[in-house]
Amino acid sequence: MPRPSPSLLPPFSRPESRVAIRRIANYEADLAAVLFETLTEFDLPVRGKTILLKPNLVGLDPLGMMNTHPAVIAAARESFLRLGAAQVLVGDGPAMDRDTQAVLESIRLREFAGPLSRLFVDLNIDDLERVLLKTQASRLRELYFPKTVRGVDFLVSMPKLKTHHWAGVTLSLKNMFGVIPGSCYGWPKNILHWAGIDRAILDINAAVRPDFAIVDGIIGMEGNGPIQGVSKAAGVLIAGDDPVAVDSTSARLMGLAPEKINHIARAATLLGHIDTAKIRQLGESIESTRTPFAVLDAFSHLRQAAA
Amino acid sequence: MNFSEEICLPYLRAAQNPDGGWGFRSGAQSRVEPTAWALIALQQAFSAQVVSADSGASERGLRYLADSQLVDGSWPSAHGQGKGAWVTSLACWAFLSADENRAALGRGLDWLAAERPGDSGGWFRFLRGFGGSKKVSGQNDALWGWSWTSGTASWVEPTSYALLVLRAAPKDLVPASAASRLKLAEEMLFDRMCPGGGWNCGNPMVYGVAGEPQVSTTVWALLALREHAERTEIQQSLAWLEKNWSSIQSPASLALAQIGLNAFERSNPSFTATIERLYAPDAIAWTVPVAAWSALAASGSKIWSQSARAEAKN
Repeated sequence: MPRPSPSLLPPFSRPESRVAIRRIANYEADLAAVLFETLTEFDLPVRGKTILLKPNLVGLDPLGMMNTHPAVIAAARESFLRLGAAQVLVGDGPAMDRDTQAVLESIRLREFAGPLSRLFVDLNIDDLERVLLKTQASRLRELYFPKTVRGVDFLVSMPKLKTHHWAGVTLSLKNMFGVIPGSCYGWPKNILHWAGIDRAILDINAAVRPDFAIVDGIIGMEGNGPIQGVSKAAGVLIAGDDPVAVDSTSARLMGLAPEKINHIARAATLLGHIDTAKIRQLGESIESTRTPFAVLDAFSHLRQAAA
Repeated sequence: MNFSEEICLPYLRAAQNPDGGWGFRSGAQSRVEPTAWALIALQQAFSAQVVSADSGASERGLRYLADSQLVDGSWPSAHGQGKGAWVTSLACWAFLSADENRAALGRGLDWLAAERPGDSGGWFRFLRGFGGSKKVSGQNDALWGWSWTSGTASWVEPTSYALLVLRAAPKDLVPASAASRLKLAEEMLFDRMCPGGGWNCGNPMVYGVAGEPQVSTTVWALLALREHAERTEIQQSLAWLEKNWSSIQSPASLALAQIGLNAFERSNPSFTATIERLYAPDAIAWTVPVAAWSALAASGSKIWSQSARAEAKN
């Protein structure tokens, strides 16, 4: 596990994190009811607030394999509105394809969530705000962020449960790469790779601080993710008030050791809890929902030792 | 309906900011990329009468670009950035289209010719081979072009933009050192083609799995390689584009596909009817670049292959 850089100290302090695992058979289930019940349990401060849901929209996906499923996005939106949010936006900046509308049409988001013009923010071309990075964990000293991301009251990371051929896994922390605007850095946002993926993930998350995470693990992706992997049904939604704890729990559910996943371990030095003793588990247990995901040989060391 | 003059032109006119630039949408911060696309469209996509009527808008736009140029001749992708990026090619293209400000254009071309991506050095290739990255992608690391941002890897789209503008520019403004780079960059594009035709951002193969082509990057690569129309790769990629025409669901990809087909005299006759069907004024996709591409696609402009003005000058 990486040691915290002295320049980043003092270390964070936060109360016990909470992570809920809900078992869901498929996308036809009443996701809105399950999510509303789950979010109610967290007693989130969202009444009257503007919420931004940040799904993982990578590219054209007519088979629904790589992107956060639109049914989950729509259910989360409905749930936050029921909890009294004034406005719930959905926004992302797809990394591999600059035609965002084509990506949205390919997953049929409009059919699930309604007209996109009042709902969706293309973070790739949003107005910009320059942010000096306090953490400077990577080589980057500053980044431009979409004004929408910096301006909302409550930010929710909504990844799909996937393995990743560079980062090991792509969950709520890695999902924040999508807020970095392509119109500034290109398609893909290659500057983040050159700066060091694991460290850039920490810089970005420290700058935007997602308030909550909901992982679409109903059908995930294993092997050569995040695009060319194989579908893997895990049958779960994972939600929590600490993205590091949510990712740690998700990794354990995938049969991987979060302490060995560089960017999660690094984020745990500063942003949230990785230690199970500091994560209150709600809903199903990790053991009862564990679904080992296949990983590329390069990541075989991430596998959790058998109990 | 004359889609170009009734939809695209009014949108572009209304979206220009008081500072002369354009944002990605009406009312958004001025940026180099949308400003360049709006200017290219205003110069190339409309009748001489329209161009004349909009000369004031073009002058203000070109002034915005000139004021945004960095001391080293490049343009940044966002206001306040100290380093140039791929939008330098687009800004040069806008000056080339307007046949204006040769000084700014020349400095931009000098920067482009000198700018090397992070994957151009021997040290990078050594590390790639040593670290096993070669096994991941299988691409030829000896080939490189242009990057999105300074010091990062070569990708299909920025390489295509640079090739297009360096080929179209007046020869007396293009540094001699560019010649060898153009050839290398063309080979890079061929190397990065997806198996069977078409391009994505530049990952044709990852861990032995073929990448899926995309419309926009396929079009830019086709335009940049237009002089090699006889090669099998080009014909395969055109065939891919035509085969996928009916599955395109957005104005952006449709307009770009038509621009690509126009350049090879293979325009799709259903373009106008299809873009009218896909167009919605409040859609998230209706942006300044998309309005500009749509106008250029409808006009059949040949700016993509060769600048008529540059040819005339030479």
